[in-house]
Amino acid sequence: MNREPPNRALAVLAITAPSLLATVAVLTFLALDLAGRTPLSHGPVRNIAEAAFLAQGSEVLRLFRAREDPMRAWPVRPEITSSAVMRVTALEAAVWSRRAQVIELFDRQAAIVDDETRRHLLCLAHDLRVQEVIDYLSQRATADCTPGEALEIVLARSREAEAGGASR
Amino acid sequence: MTSTNTVGPSDEVGAYPNGSTELGLNQWTVLSYAYALLCVVGLGYFLFDSPIQVSDGFTNLTKAANGTLGSLVYSEFFQRGYLRPLLWGHTRVLFDLSSGHYFEWFRGWHVAQVALLSVLFVRLVRPRTLLAAAVVPLGLSVLVGMHTFAGAIREAFPINTFMTIVLCSFAAADLALGQPRWWRDVAAALLLVFAALTVESGLLVAVVGVAAYLAGAKGVSRYGVAAQVVLITGYFLLRFVLQIGAPGLEERSSGFGFSSLEPDELVARFGSNPTPFHAYNVLCSILSLLFSEPRGGTFVVTSALVRGELPPAGVVNVVSSVLATMMIVLFVWRRRDDWRVRRFDRADQLVIVFGAVALANAAISYGYSKDVILSPAGALFAVALTVSARHALEWIGGAPRLRVATSVALLAVLSAGWGVRSVSAHMWLRAGAATHAEWAYIDSWLERQGQVLSDPFAIDLKRRLQNDAVSRHPMRPALRDDAVWWFYEP
Repeated sequence: MNREPPNRALAVLAITAPSLLATVAVLTFLALDLAGRTPLSHGPVRNIAEAAFLAQGSEVLRLFRAREDPMRAWPVRPEITSSAVMRVTALEAAVWSRRAQVIELFDRQAAIVDDETRRHLLCLAHDLRVQEVIDYLSQRATADCTPGEALEIVLARSREAEAGGASR
Repeated sequence: MTSTNTVGPSDEVGAYPNGSTELGLNQWTVLSYAYALLCVVGLGYFLFDSPIQVSDGFTNLTKAANGTLGSLVYSEFFQRGYLRPLLWGHTRVLFDLSSGHYFEWFRGWHVAQVALLSVLFVRLVRPRTLLAAAVVPLGLSVLVGMHTFAGAIREAFPINTFMTIVLCSFAAADLALGQPRWWRDVAAALLLVFAALTVESGLLVAVVGVAAYLAGAKGVSRYGVAAQVVLITGYFLLRFVLQIGAPGLEERSSGFGFSSLEPDELVARFGSNPTPFHAYNVLCSILSLLFSEPRGGTFVVTSALVRGELPPAGVVNVVSSVLATMMIVLFVWRRRDDWRVRRFDRADQLVIVFGAVALANAAISYGYSKDVILSPAGALFAVALTVSARHALEWIGGAPRLRVATSVALLAVLSAGWGVRSVSAHMWLRAGAATHAEWAYIDSWLERQGQVLSDPFAIDLKRRLQNDAVSRHPMRPALRDDAVWWFYEP
């Protein structure tokens, strides 16, 4: 191999190194992703409630089909919810996602099992002022909501979970 | 008219230069192919994560599966809006081969297309020296990071037509720039027929052949080039006989100025005289290719700057494109004396082919502006930049110190900018988790489309594809918006 003049060697480095680094970055991402440690993400969702919170419809459907209960209160990571909500059902999380289509997805799977649940979700949507979800749920339910009551149910559950965690 | 194909400064002299073998391989070529393979692994990983999309994916498969291959292709000759029979034939062949393993075959085919494209890219730029190999990473970053290429990888149609035409354009250039052989004439003609009957932009394959010939490339003979001209004439005659028109203003929205106009607005504004709108689209297409602005006819970065915003991805795009275009212009300027006397080397021919395809690609984009329509010219931009950058490296060794310092700084910014764009292209593919979500909401989508699936085959196909997208190949963890916002374009 011929020795390149120093000027040219510098130019070769300048033109090659950044693009090579980009490829290394992509391959590093790929390796970490395969190892289950996806960079720049919160990692995989841990349950159906987290999937609903993040409005990840395909994950909601996958976990529902894997028989995760959308009515059960699941722990959700604070870095995902960014709020005081730490324990929610997947249906409540769907309201928090602010997307009517997530609620509709549950509805299509017959996961909103009774009128009481539908009313609770509608009141929660009112408390969170999610008009899109209110419009959707109002098609099949009416509710005489006490402002803040539905939200308080979720928050109390979260506080309870936190206290339980702290006492342990 | 005569043209002389001579060896210029960027070409190697001798039968097997720099230790290359009869196949044209030496250590630098092998290294370049190995690097390209690494890039394919990276891109292929992200591509294989995306399921076949619902819109124009599931629906196209249900249509492609009907009847026999012959009847499907034949019926497509009588569509009023488009002449794309071989797109459907291509889809049907792969559908039959898949034997129900749709995800593996169709997504695997997309990855295979990327692999083939990378091989053709390295073949075209022919890296046989250290300097030539040194610009391959930049070239591949441009190929993948170019905004016109996004649709060729993000759109998860069963067969990505745009990718098919980019491949055909590269293959046409490879045929044209090779050693003269009779079979290249035949292959070039078949390639043109395949591309033109796949999608309208496939006509650019002929532009590649003619431009390369006019620039002195003799891989395809004059008879081969004449055959291409005859085929193009035949194509337009066919469209005339079959009364296949061009898309009108009322068919889709299009960018204009700082915003997008809906079809009714386009009709109201340009219905009586669409020429200014068509001229705008052609001009915008050229500007977009060279400067990454406007995008789809809309001056997005300019608009953001006017509002006092500084969108990082948009600025990176424009700066990297401006520098890349400057490098190609510099190459043309430095080769002007040879060009005047029609003395062209391989690098010249590639740059000339890019120029011709850019103009033709912009011309066929007159109807509306869309980045991905420019994908053949965008991919050839990457080729032209690669050979221009190699030329710059050859020239830089003997330049004065101050000029070298400036050049090195600009080269670093250029390469860094395209590196970021390449990473962005990969991140966008991961962010395309929407394709998975489409399958969760397919029943709502079908309802909105007013479609009711009654055919048992379509119902089973939907079930299988949904199962692929949701359960067999579930979405991987989504990227946090706060971590990747600077990749997103305005």
